[in-house]
Amino acid sequence: MNFSVLSSQFWSLCLQGVALGFIYVLISLGYTMVYGVLRLINFANSEVVMMGTFATVVAEVAILKNVSTSDPLHGFRLVYTLVFALVFSSLICGLLGVLVELVAYRRLRALGTNRLASLISAIAVSIVLSEAARIYTHSAPVTAPRLLEKWSFGEIGGANFRVDTVMIILAGSIIFFALDRFVNRSRLGKAIRAVSMSEENSKLMGINLNRVISLTFFIGGLTTGAAAFFYTTVYETTQFNVGFNLGLAAFTAAVLGGIGNLRGAFYGGIFLGVLEQFASAILGSQWKSVTVFLVLVLVLLIKPSGIFGEAVQQTRT
Amino acid sequence: MNKKIQRSLAVASAATLVFGVSAVSSAMAAPKTVYLAFQAPLTGPNALTGQDELTGAKFALSEYNATNPAIKVELVLADDQGDATVAASVAPGIASNKTIIGLIGPAYSGATQASLPAYKAAGLPLISMSATRVSLTDPKAPVNGFPIFKRVVANDKFQGPALVRYATKGIATPKVYLVDDVSAYGAGLAEYAKKTITSAMTAGKDSVPVNTSDYTSVVAKVKASGANVVIYCGYAPDAAKFVKALRDGGYTGVFASGDGTLKADYPVNAGKAAAEGSRLTAADVPFENLVTAAQMTAFTKLTGVKVPGTYVTSTYNATNIYLACIKQGKTTRAGIQNCITTGSFKGVAGDTIKFDRYGDIIGGAAVGAFVIKDGKISYVGVA
Repeated sequence: MNFSVLSSQFWSLCLQGVALGFIYVLISLGYTMVYGVLRLINFANSEVVMMGTFATVVAEVAILKNVSTSDPLHGFRLVYTLVFALVFSSLICGLLGVLVELVAYRRLRALGTNRLASLISAIAVSIVLSEAARIYTHSAPVTAPRLLEKWSFGEIGGANFRVDTVMIILAGSIIFFALDRFVNRSRLGKAIRAVSMSEENSKLMGINLNRVISLTFFIGGLTTGAAAFFYTTVYETTQFNVGFNLGLAAFTAAVLGGIGNLRGAFYGGIFLGVLEQFASAILGSQWKSVTVFLVLVLVLLIKPSGIFGEAVQQTRT
Repeated sequence: MNKKIQRSLAVASAATLVFGVSAVSSAMAAPKTVYLAFQAPLTGPNALTGQDELTGAKFALSEYNATNPAIKVELVLADDQGDATVAASVAPGIASNKTIIGLIGPAYSGATQASLPAYKAAGLPLISMSATRVSLTDPKAPVNGFPIFKRVVANDKFQGPALVRYATKGIATPKVYLVDDVSAYGAGLAEYAKKTITSAMTAGKDSVPVNTSDYTSVVAKVKASGANVVIYCGYAPDAAKFVKALRDGGYTGVFASGDGTLKADYPVNAGKAAAEGSRLTAADVPFENLVTAAQMTAFTKLTGVKVPGTYVTSTYNATNIYLACIKQGKTTRAGIQNCITTGSFKGVAGDTIKFDRYGDIIGGAAVGAFVIKDGKISYVGVA
């Protein structure tokens, strides 16, 4: 164990953990939104992230003609490229989410099959997406161009406020709070919450169930796509299997926070990001996963609804 | 389509899937032709390693076949993606193919370990061009290659110290932070590198599993340790992510790595700026430094490659050892095994290659030093 790193790098680890946590938050929203409405885990969401990272590369390289060896962008071109890639990745993932619902869930739901069947069909879709990407890329990593020069706003207590770190935290916060308001304040958000509470009653109230479920998958896909964009912008690389680790971490975050509610996913994601950083720093990087899953098991044993499960129950989607 | 043809195609496809191999030539049944398998990552993130090495094997074969020998030799390709799990599923297919009398490879240590049970059971001789993990030739190790495994490269017992030597060269007071990727290769190399790092030189150590995306916590630890040399024992895709994170995190010291990172796509994936100046080692001397101009022209004509990649020299040597035995009329696995074990062979550098009882070259082999210069790998000399 190495506690000495804490004294000099404590705030740095916190900041990096929060930034990583925001990526988890945005992905875990994809899990938690769907769970809130269907009470099912959308296992295909991990591959939706992966497709989002490739969509980001496609937007940056194939559509906007940046190359991996070019210099970072500046001014309007930079803003335009980032916004376009973010929107493109989010839309692709949103539409993919809708497609996943159509293929893996809707028909089985209409037939009234066992809930397990939907989980398996979601895993099947996940494998199809992952394998398709593997074959298409020959299992090789794909490098994204460096769009953003990694300059720093400055250091506070050893924490380096680098532009990409700040961007993730700010944009991630905006996206989360916009979604939170949408679900809690808008008419459509009310419909989502109604379906979450009771499918039968919401049908009686005239809510189009299929439309609301598709919308939920779409919104979950949008936030997942945003996470994929941030991931690709920061790490500048992706691979066909990138979704597995990210999906697992985000799913863990959702469960830690209390799956099914938005704020639980938020707290769970940030908690997990920071926990990973501290576990890596103190125990060694090879102990990161062990620590995370040990904490998950402990949390579930003590509080099966997740750390923030009950406190934020009213925000359930 | 005729049903019989359809059925035959289905059977052929299934056989290819099961055995995971594809023959370079379709003349499997031709008389006086023997087959050598070539096992390396030919697809996947580490494909460049295998594709580079394949050029060495192809060139050696073309030189041999051009002499119109009595026994023709052809290659059978086995793609293990450098992955132990894939290798374990590929090896039984190769082992059961009795027309194959020897195997060039496997290229990776983890893949070799996973393949050994199938090959040992079938008595198939192996000569690896780049599997450097020490335990493969250690009789006390639980998974060693005795008696079938030989290698024409220096193992990590030599590369580990050479890597530390080269990484710290010219630095007055080196503080070394050692990172491995927890793979059979990475952890093994790190073990032998660590033995050379004195306590005064030690800044810290970490193990980051393969396929990790986020290296920020390691970067924080490197910075906190005050290290001015970071040695990474792992493969190129992860090394590229790590060095990028280090440079973005403000680390300005030396970044060094072993042969797993010595790939042309390392500076491409890491970005020219981040990779520049990386010090790399490999138990390899560039092929173009050893062959004649005429041979280089012929090599380029055959492979389309102007600058041979890593481990082309050792692959060429490994292939030539088999060919020398075949020239002596050895066309069975047992015959080849006996020939390799007892014979003495000539390397492309004019060196003599003779294996010890457990499969290493007697006297060892040179470890080369390389640097990334202007985004490209440049040979410096012997590390």
